[in-house]
Amino acid sequence: MEMENNGSPLTKKWGFRANPDLNMASDNTVRGVLYMLLSKLNRSDTRPVIPLGHGDPSAFPCFRTTQVAEDAMVDSIRSAKFNGYGPTVGILPARSAVAEYLSQDLPNKLSPDDVFLTLGCKQAIQTIVTVLTNPKANILLPKPGFPYYEAIAKSCNLEVRHFDLLPEKDWEVDLDSVNALADENTVAMVIINPGNPCGNVFTHQHLKKVAETAKKLGILIISDEVYAHLVFGKNPFVPMAVFASIAPIITLGSISKRWIVPGWCLGWLVINDPNGILKEHGIIDCITAYLNISSDTPTFIQGAIPDILSKTKEDFFVKIVSIVKEAANICYEGIKDIPGVICPTKPEGSMFVMVKLDLSVFEDIKDDVEFCVKLAQEESILILPGISVGLNNWLRVTFAIELSALEEGIKRLNAFCVRHSKKP
Amino acid sequence: MGKQEEWGFKENHELHAAAGFTIRNILESIIGNIDQKRSGKPMIHLGHGDPSIYPCFRTSVSVEDALVESIRSANFNCYPSGIGIDPARSALAEYLSKDLPYNITNDDVFLTAGANHGIEVLLTVLARPGANILFPRPNYPIYEARARFSEIEVRHFDLLPDKGWEVDLDGVKALADKNTLGIVVINPGNPCGNVFTFDHMKKIAETARELGILVIADEVYAHLVFGEKPFIPMGVLGDIAPVLTLGSLSKRWIVPGWRFGWIAINDPTRILQQTGVVASIKSCLTISADPPTVIQGAIPSVIKNTPQSFFLNINKLLKEASDLFYEKVKEIPLVTCPHRPEGSMFAMVKLNMPAFEDVVDDTDFCMKMAKEESVVVLPGDVVGLKNWVRVSIGTEPKVLEDAIGRMKVFCLKHAKH
Repeated sequence: MEMENNGSPLTKKWGFRANPDLNMASDNTVRGVLYMLLSKLNRSDTRPVIPLGHGDPSAFPCFRTTQVAEDAMVDSIRSAKFNGYGPTVGILPARSAVAEYLSQDLPNKLSPDDVFLTLGCKQAIQTIVTVLTNPKANILLPKPGFPYYEAIAKSCNLEVRHFDLLPEKDWEVDLDSVNALADENTVAMVIINPGNPCGNVFTHQHLKKVAETAKKLGILIISDEVYAHLVFGKNPFVPMAVFASIAPIITLGSISKRWIVPGWCLGWLVINDPNGILKEHGIIDCITAYLNISSDTPTFIQGAIPDILSKTKEDFFVKIVSIVKEAANICYEGIKDIPGVICPTKPEGSMFVMVKLDLSVFEDIKDDVEFCVKLAQEESILILPGISVGLNNWLRVTFAIELSALEEGIKRLNAFCVRHSKKP
Repeated sequence: MGKQEEWGFKENHELHAAAGFTIRNILESIIGNIDQKRSGKPMIHLGHGDPSIYPCFRTSVSVEDALVESIRSANFNCYPSGIGIDPARSALAEYLSKDLPYNITNDDVFLTAGANHGIEVLLTVLARPGANILFPRPNYPIYEARARFSEIEVRHFDLLPDKGWEVDLDGVKALADKNTLGIVVINPGNPCGNVFTFDHMKKIAETARELGILVIADEVYAHLVFGEKPFIPMGVLGDIAPVLTLGSLSKRWIVPGWRFGWIAINDPTRILQQTGVVASIKSCLTISADPPTVIQGAIPSVIKNTPQSFFLNINKLLKEASDLFYEKVKEIPLVTCPHRPEGSMFAMVKLNMPAFEDVVDDTDFCMKMAKEESVVVLPGDVVGLKNWVRVSIGTEPKVLEDAIGRMKVFCLKHAKH
């Protein structure tokens, strides 16, 4: 049992203390909330747990990564050329490969110097938020969003302001709210496209407006494109960097989602800034400085990147996208028939969809957290309560899992909602 | 100029100040000074502890096999979990317990993305306004960078070159006050290449207890000892003062590029648990970046299957390199190595600056030697001892011999006549 920090015999004797801010910050991450829900599972329920809470389908055989990627890793290890330290920004062959890979979708070619390799997209987020931190500065984050940004901003003491994504407009950015929130201390805005948690994909037209807004406000755009190319609806994926001549764009990405290998932790932070504004403001040097005092992504994983990016066949990507598309459909259609939950927009990208709760339908459920806790306890399903991502009384549902597990999940969700509905 | 021309972001000055002088930065400028055309010789890099490029130091094939198996199993492509997967933590707990008088469990072991990450976590957790921490001089400079970044005041105690680089315990006692939270000791020593005796470590632990501070035991070079003194983990004395041990795969298994390490709680009286420090470490790990699951999956096999013969061979190579180094450096005028290296992969060499004609300090020495002889060593200033240099002896012995030969040429050329 933890003792109080103040006045206890222990604190008087020893010069070190715990750090309660860290505990609070970690509890609010997706990981933290899912830990809490995991602890609620009924141990005597023999049915398999249905994981609709996190974006990681790697446990399912149908989502296994391409053999090309595994082979690339094995070759890299067996070469024994990548067991040593690499440069802090990443080894050149890997950076070149990422530059080339991303340039395929852009009007201008990226240079390897524009690419920084990071220990997963997590470290890319840590890096850019830390680099932009200054006393009085503030950053604009989407609501709903990805709570890791809030956690890192808090740990840096960087003020956060939230702009809305509009459910009635396919979760587009409420540019009026962005304009209203920004002031002379605003450093950047974050967009996540394809969207986590909303499952939306921004149009070219909308992204252009976002870029123009950023330019007007004098802020840079952090474009989190971790779900790049995981699109299966009407809107194609458009990288924000297409608009880099309007405002500086920092693109965050990784191989985790497209190759279904979040456990390999290979991400990148890419500078898209043909006008050299970020360099002029010392941002590039600062990024290198942060990476200099931080850990790196393992060199052998970097060594595998050129082959992973260049040799993966199109049909692997097509296969993954088609499974995710079908799952999105099953989820969207299935939810239509379930009382008390409404899915306003059909998801068309990423692995998630936001589902609204109609609490008036339920007898004994007062909010989204209670919904998710009871759902875990009674049906062994994990779903993330919307409060975690900034929208109370919504749910973030992961549909990207093996299809029969998803169907089972939808069935159990329905049983749960029916059981908890008010009787007529 | 309208608002369109003004941008609201700027660099984080504190970060820049903290990260200014790292080993990587300085080595980059020194390597940038190499003029291969002029020297006509290939570069010999003795600036960092990374012998993985030399075939004789190649990691054990069982290590490679473990990682390949982890990848091929497709069981470890999932998200890492913050404190690390159980099988890896258990395997490490068992491994570490072998050298302790008590057992630690997987609850006492947390996985990190290398010891640098471990340092980041511990200093982030322990930082609080007004606190100070005691570091050795010379030191591994990531500690200073991270302490500055977390705004912990740093106070330096000396390691005494004439006493085998032992801790100046009187100095430690004079520096500490009620706001001191801990002391860092690196054993086997980086940059000094020394190994502490049990008696000395006991005195350090007793001093820590007396001062009410914890010990951060940086044991990244654990077991890499090749002199008279055995390696003893500080955790053996964990019941005297709480010990947080940093370890990594990088050095003993010669895979620094894997960036895999751990924090072990060596605290049988559970003070760190009771004060909430352990919970804070777990929280910090939940937020920060993780070591890839795919490496975690390989750990049980790495621990179990690496043959003793591999470790014995590495230590044999280091001993050969160390003996060669120590004897040959005696023949170089203008430099002295006061203490024969007996552990880790480094030696500290003192420069007799007044005897040099046109070399003004250690940084100048390193820059010029890189240019003229294509040999890279680290200026002692970076580790806290100006006018010394840190040399990595984790090098193939023949290559090391070549490097020392070139150092001799350089010194003779620049000596006052």
